[in-house]
Amino acid sequence: METIWRVTVMLLSAPFTRQARRDLRFCVISAITGTVGFFVVAGVLIPALVISGSIVGTVVGLALVVAAMGIARLLGVLHRKVLLITTGERVAAPAAFRPGSGLLGRLGRRLRDRDGWRAVGYIGVKLPIAIAEGYAAAAVAFGLADFAYPLFWLLFRTHPEPGARQGPMIAVVLVPNGHWAIETLPGTLSAMLAGAVCVVAGLWLARGIITVDARVMRFMLGPSRVSVLERTRAIAVEDAAVALRRVERDLHDGTQVRLAAVAMNLGLAQERVADDTLRDMLDAAQAGVSGALADLRRIARGIHPPALDSGLADALASLAASSPIPVRVQVKLPERPSQAIEAMAYFCVSELLANAIKHSSANLIEITVDKFLAKSLRVRVTDDGRGGADPSQGSGLGGLAQRASTVDGKLHVYSPPGGPTTVTVDLPMQVRGKGI
Amino acid sequence: MRVVIAEDAAVLREGLVRLLTDRGHEVCAAVADAEALRTAVTEHEPDAVIADIRMPPTHTDDGLRAAEAIRRDFPSTGVLLFSQYIEAGYTARLLETGTGGVGYLLKDRVGNVADFVSALERVADGGTALDPEVISQLLHKPDPGLASLTARERDVLGLMAEGRSNSGIAAKLVLSEGAVEKHIASIFSKLFLEPEAADNRRVLAVLRYLRA
Repeated sequence: METIWRVTVMLLSAPFTRQARRDLRFCVISAITGTVGFFVVAGVLIPALVISGSIVGTVVGLALVVAAMGIARLLGVLHRKVLLITTGERVAAPAAFRPGSGLLGRLGRRLRDRDGWRAVGYIGVKLPIAIAEGYAAAAVAFGLADFAYPLFWLLFRTHPEPGARQGPMIAVVLVPNGHWAIETLPGTLSAMLAGAVCVVAGLWLARGIITVDARVMRFMLGPSRVSVLERTRAIAVEDAAVALRRVERDLHDGTQVRLAAVAMNLGLAQERVADDTLRDMLDAAQAGVSGALADLRRIARGIHPPALDSGLADALASLAASSPIPVRVQVKLPERPSQAIEAMAYFCVSELLANAIKHSSANLIEITVDKFLAKSLRVRVTDDGRGGADPSQGSGLGGLAQRASTVDGKLHVYSPPGGPTTVTVDLPMQVRGKGI
Repeated sequence: MRVVIAEDAAVLREGLVRLLTDRGHEVCAAVADAEALRTAVTEHEPDAVIADIRMPPTHTDDGLRAAEAIRRDFPSTGVLLFSQYIEAGYTARLLETGTGGVGYLLKDRVGNVADFVSALERVADGGTALDPEVISQLLHKPDPGLASLTARERDVLGLMAEGRSNSGIAAKLVLSEGAVEKHIASIFSKLFLEPEAADNRRVLAVLRYLRA
């Protein structure tokens, strides 16, 4: 009994909440933008597809397709904004569009813009939703009018002109055959009752449709799964780089210092000991500490080479200085790449250099790092050795390519038998997806 | 010997101070960053400086940069770099400031107190003290002259590069001083270093060895 009462109160109080007013506003605006938007996009897209099918109109047609996608994207922005302002629900924007270079590159990148096509898809799906939203808003409007019938009756029907003959009032609800004639004042109560039902039902319908619409928006106008994954991957990769660097710093400032202090104290003790056995034991301890420090140095270098702190150029110069084969290093970067990318570039060069030293019998190795396209860097390691390096032959090259691919990097090997060998690694300056 | 120490880890800094004071050397200042190091050197003009490479403020190569400045401004002050790492790039930069009065040792080496102090004394006297690891890192470099050296001659040259005297080399390799001299003469001839009054053949040989 109590439950029924509570549900009734909830149902009946629906029209008087703030939520109801917001929902109505959304339905009205969205019904208009949804239907108008559909016809605008369809009006551009359908002719565009027809034209692009013909031989002469391909480029014009495709340009129009791109225009339609642009309109759909803009409408997506509008719809997200309307949802946010009227109902307070936020749908995140998709990843920013990355334009290509050159006319064809630009056009191609636009046509392959997944988020653009998803926006076009939303415009298509939106039409029935917009119609339903319009229906819900209209149901509420008609309901309110019906509800006010006794008022109209009292204001306009009770003082008829003498001799005038008036027809019945027609009450309408938005269902098939949902209209009836009212002849008397008490009859208007039926309109009032029907109006109340319409308002409540219309508002609940609006709520339901908005829930569906918001979900569709999130799916089609929000960030795509790919861009979400790109973003989280970027965060993971950069976090890992920062964490590794911190580990190296902690080792350097903590463990290594303590061990060096132990070595020093052992050394001082050794000087004061006359007993031979004791001295031997101290010698053994000393050797153990030295070994531990050497191990730590090796481990720390694998985690984060200390020379990398002062930049890629310094770190690579240092790497080159310890090579038995002469190495020429040239680093030309306008700005520093992110930490993860610097470390990746360093370890790539380190591996490639080691390969060249081991297998190429070269006389000269050249390492260049420079900017490539807008937001990438290209690492190139060339040697004048015997060539014949094959990434598929289980060498370190395959692993390197795999490692570079974790940040969308690409590795190319050019190594004909007889040489020379050139390996290039293209890496983004920042892990893609960062900061979106 | 008057020494300034720059090391950001307090345990090591204090340990070094105690170690040197115990042996009758005067520690004018013991500081924890590169800025303070330069100020202390300007103030005290010590015989030698022991400097960590990775120090505040930037924790990169601050110590080395201070060392370069000190070598330029106070040529009579020897600089011993004292680091957890041997970086070939750092070695090259240090040697560019001149081959005398410089040293580069791993921090582990302080475990052998006598060797460490004698290395510091060598640096203060205008000699060199390079870590065996510096030498081994630079050792793979091909030089036809160097390639023709025998293993024994290589050992001798390596010890020369560390900055040891003939008697030091003889003691280390358990040879007579005469034998060491013979090896050295052979090294000079294989590296085509003719005796000329103006050149120090010893330094030239070591340079060939390090920069080949």
